[in-house]
Amino acid sequence: MIGRTIAALLGAILVVTVAGGSALAQSPANLVVQAPVEPPGLDLTATPASATAAVLLYNVQECLVKVDRTGKIVPWLAERWHTSDNKNYTFFLRKGVRFHNGRELKAADIKFVLQRAMNPETKHPYPGYYEAISDIIVKDDYTVTITLKSFNANFLLNLARQGSVIYPREAVDTLKSAPIGTGPFRFEEWVRGDKIILVRNKDYYVPGVPKVDRVTFRFIADPNAVLAALKAGDVDASLFGLGPEHVQDVQKDARFQVIVGDTTNDVVLAMNNARKPYTDVRVRRAVTYGINKPDVLKGAMFGMGKILGSNVDPLNPYYIDVSKDMPYDPGKAKKLLAEAGYPNGFDTVLKVAPQYYYTVRSGEVIAENLKKVGVNVKIEQIEWGQWLSRVFCRPPCTDPDYDLTIIGHAESWDIANYANPKYYYRYDSAKFQDLFKSSEVTLDDKARRELYAKMQHMLVQDAPVVWLYMHPRLAVAKKGLTGFWKDLPVPAADLSEVGWTPAK
Amino acid sequence: MRRYVARRVAALAATLLFVTALVFVVVRVLPGDPAALIMGTEGSPEATERLRESMGLNRPLAVQYVDWLRGALHGDLGRSIQYDLPVGNLIVTRLPVTLPLALLAAVFMTLTAIPLGVYAATHHRRAGDYLTMIVSQFGISVPQFWSGLLLILFFSVSLGWVRSGGFDGWSAGLWPALRALLLPAVALGVFQAAVLVRATRSAVLDVLREDYVRTARAKGVSEGLVVGKHTLRNALIPIVTVAGLQLGQLMAGAIVLESVFALPGLGRLALGAISARDLPVVQGVTLFVASGIVVINFAVDLAYGFLDPRIRYE
Repeated sequence: MIGRTIAALLGAILVVTVAGGSALAQSPANLVVQAPVEPPGLDLTATPASATAAVLLYNVQECLVKVDRTGKIVPWLAERWHTSDNKNYTFFLRKGVRFHNGRELKAADIKFVLQRAMNPETKHPYPGYYEAISDIIVKDDYTVTITLKSFNANFLLNLARQGSVIYPREAVDTLKSAPIGTGPFRFEEWVRGDKIILVRNKDYYVPGVPKVDRVTFRFIADPNAVLAALKAGDVDASLFGLGPEHVQDVQKDARFQVIVGDTTNDVVLAMNNARKPYTDVRVRRAVTYGINKPDVLKGAMFGMGKILGSNVDPLNPYYIDVSKDMPYDPGKAKKLLAEAGYPNGFDTVLKVAPQYYYTVRSGEVIAENLKKVGVNVKIEQIEWGQWLSRVFCRPPCTDPDYDLTIIGHAESWDIANYANPKYYYRYDSAKFQDLFKSSEVTLDDKARRELYAKMQHMLVQDAPVVWLYMHPRLAVAKKGLTGFWKDLPVPAADLSEVGWTPAK
Repeated sequence: MRRYVARRVAALAATLLFVTALVFVVVRVLPGDPAALIMGTEGSPEATERLRESMGLNRPLAVQYVDWLRGALHGDLGRSIQYDLPVGNLIVTRLPVTLPLALLAAVFMTLTAIPLGVYAATHHRRAGDYLTMIVSQFGISVPQFWSGLLLILFFSVSLGWVRSGGFDGWSAGLWPALRALLLPAVALGVFQAAVLVRATRSAVLDVLREDYVRTARAKGVSEGLVVGKHTLRNALIPIVTVAGLQLGQLMAGAIVLESVFALPGLGRLALGAISARDLPVVQGVTLFVASGIVVINFAVDLAYGFLDPRIRYE
């Protein structure tokens, strides 16, 4: 009797399950992509989260200028710009560009957006980008001139970043949950905790773009669940969040293509320059010499990625290769430690946040390396929120609480952080700060390139942190999908040119 | 009876007050606040500080709690920091995922565990008993996220019968919705069932040794009647107690399985809210779940009276 009940139950389960998988992901004009982190709000003028940029930047919302897939700044909502003195920039807007609410983009919108960003009341995450602006003059509906107080070499770049997206002023209060822009996709729906749906902007001004009618971002954090979803055909592409071991697994599968590229994400071993023994430059150099970076890259990333020697990533036009300037040399490390008064090494604590798996793995290799030169590293794993408030020292914290930590810094052009003595590295060099300041006001490309080279060499010598490697871009997509960016010069996931080939 | 109910309701209120105060303090004492998490490593310190202030995080802890409590008493659970929606709405939109999931798991648990437990007890120390116990030991030992992944790999990746995760809502139709919840419900139910099988088996074994069972058998009552009526009815008190506790634990399991199956349910809402320090949501979900568990316990207590008329509530 009971046996029969169980058999009937199992039979029922079987019948229920035999009904075919989801066909949604594969239909012609649809694209289902996975991202690991759900955005903490959809207002790019209020949140700096890269999870928000990944969905919206260049897909739903666009800027006056754009960083293209090669890292070059190209005209966008402004079809061209002009400057004769690098202080007055005149932008000529593309005509006939419409916001998703149907209204045409006018020069007054540019003025409103920038003024709002400059106003501290609005809690814009990057007010610094617009500090140099002294005046914004609307000449006519399609012409706007921005006047700078001082030279700012990164001015155009800042206008292309996620904080500088152009939106209609009437939508300002709803940006957080229903963003409006001019992009190839319009925002359709956010199912909290699950997915965000974008649909084709039929009035998009670039002919033939976008290539698909509908994009669904599904938020799946667990890499194993992502792999299962890919293999079951429930998602078409994984944009972020798969580790090197998963990518290797997928590489063997003929149904998928693996995209490995460069990013601006520099993984560093930060040393608290304000805390002993890292106040001593000899100790910091010793730690650098004591770490076998190729080993770290192999252990943490299966060798994918690029070894770094300083804080400019390979996608930056001013990148110079200094990765071999302080090569692995345990003998030299020991000697430097002895000179600094630590002939027998010392004990230290490395705090890492396992939310970013590569930090833990890199830490394990580094601890092994440093043990050989007498530095005993104790690895302490802490949760991301704790890391932000204690190690990264968000207010009300005033004194970063760590010896060593590992994290990837994804912001492009973030060499500026070394010129900020309050940054959690607590690297305070007047000479470096001067160099950086002059690089900000130098517009001549050759002179600026020289300053950047000087800064990179100086950082190598001062060793405020150990630059480990550039975290590679690891994405997986179904074969037949084309148009993805290979490298990520900005933290965006531009899907405007992604489509099925041959068209389904 | 009325006095008993009144006492229970008062105890319920005290429990909820205590639980919410505890959660409030624990989440607030954890280093890291929502402003820091939103700003990440990229936003400027000034912007972070301004955000903190606008969220009211600079006010004393007690003031913040009393504020929340006042709102909650008026039915206003506050607004989610991360999602910018009323917490009440968020909970309501998540229920159509989590409640059916828990219900399916509970049905699976009851329908497999009680028959299997009775079967094992009536076949005490025979092959069927040993087999059931071995299988249930597996069920208890295998972590839920692991059994969830195995189910996905087998039914979804290899066989392609069901999707690997996600949920399109009940508006997509009864059938697709049920299909999306089936695997996680089984993964959730297996563990709970494994525990309940063991409880059922030992409860039934105990009763089978009673004198009245021997008497019934001596009178020539059929074995089906002896087990189904004389034994099971009397063994139900411990079984219902364990089952009630299991129902409460379904929530903990839902947190894990909703993440593995990417289901937008209450568990995943709570998990995300804790990592984002989205305190209003954490509080709201805690309040809701704690009330649910207290109500289940209450129902279990009342059930005793129906199962065993000798039990009185005064």
